[in-house]
Amino acid sequence: MSLTRTLTKTRVAIHNDVDVVVAIQKGRMLAQAHGFSTNEQYITVTAISEVAHNIINYARCGEITLDIVEQGKRCAILIVATDAGPGIPDVQQALKDGYSTGAGLGLGLSGARRLMDEFEIVSEVGKGTTVTMWKWRNDNNNRAKNSRS
Amino acid sequence: METSTIQKLENLLLVSVPRDLMDDEVLRLRRQVVREIRKYHSRWVMLDFSAVDICDSFFGRFIQSTADMVGLMGADVIVSGLQDAVVETMIELGMTLENIRAVLDLDDALALSRTVQRTEMYTQGMKALNGHDIDWDNGWDALDMDSLHRDTHAIAEV
Repeated sequence: MSLTRTLTKTRVAIHNDVDVVVAIQKGRMLAQAHGFSTNEQYITVTAISEVAHNIINYARCGEITLDIVEQGKRCAILIVATDAGPGIPDVQQALKDGYSTGAGLGLGLSGARRLMDEFEIVSEVGKGTTVTMWKWRNDNNNRAKNSRS
Repeated sequence: METSTIQKLENLLLVSVPRDLMDDEVLRLRRQVVREIRKYHSRWVMLDFSAVDICDSFFGRFIQSTADMVGLMGADVIVSGLQDAVVETMIELGMTLENIRAVLDLDDALALSRTVQRTEMYTQGMKALNGHDIDWDNGWDALDMDSLHRDTHAIAEV
């Protein structure tokens, strides 16, 4: 499978909750501009919000990059959240529902994984965490939805 | 920055939750809600989410903690106006909110609050009829039988 990255790459440095909102708004604009349905947009921005909040709560700062990848006619939004924080000792446990050492409902990572089509997490204690996830655009019912709005 | 508005209607406190709330704004909004409940003696807090397109786990925690706090003040939270796509995302995310009622819009919220109020009045009336709280010196005149009948019929209709 060959994926082509486009030149839309957007970087958002995450230091505080204002940056989280910036990342959300940029993600929303990117998904909108590339014809993602309303549902896909909401799902994508919710996942961005989850990983961005995780950066602030556990690593204090980090970075989110947003990109559009293409495979033939298919199109996906790619989100990479990186931080140089404490890392996750047990990734499998962190992916369980209801597991939290922070202030959320413990649904962040597991929820983001369910929301997105692809989800990968690489973490090393003391070095940091990288979450890579993407959402494909569903082209079957997309056109109709967009022409209505 | 978008500002949230809080309005009073009957025994409801209407809170329109703005889009893209930042974390400290969420906390400020929650404090404001608690303050206004005391001010208006509200029985219900309706959180209107029609402008919101993200309900992630942190927002879910805000709803839950608001409900728990207002619960300690004798009020209940009603969530209204959740968009279809937001509902879908919340469920996919695995979010379950306990002790929180949801309605589609303000009409339903008003209907709910009025019904509950009538039920509560009816329960109080029945208690009095069972002889616990009746002022026997004034006998049956102490009870407003007309309104009790009215409420009984209203409940039967619901």
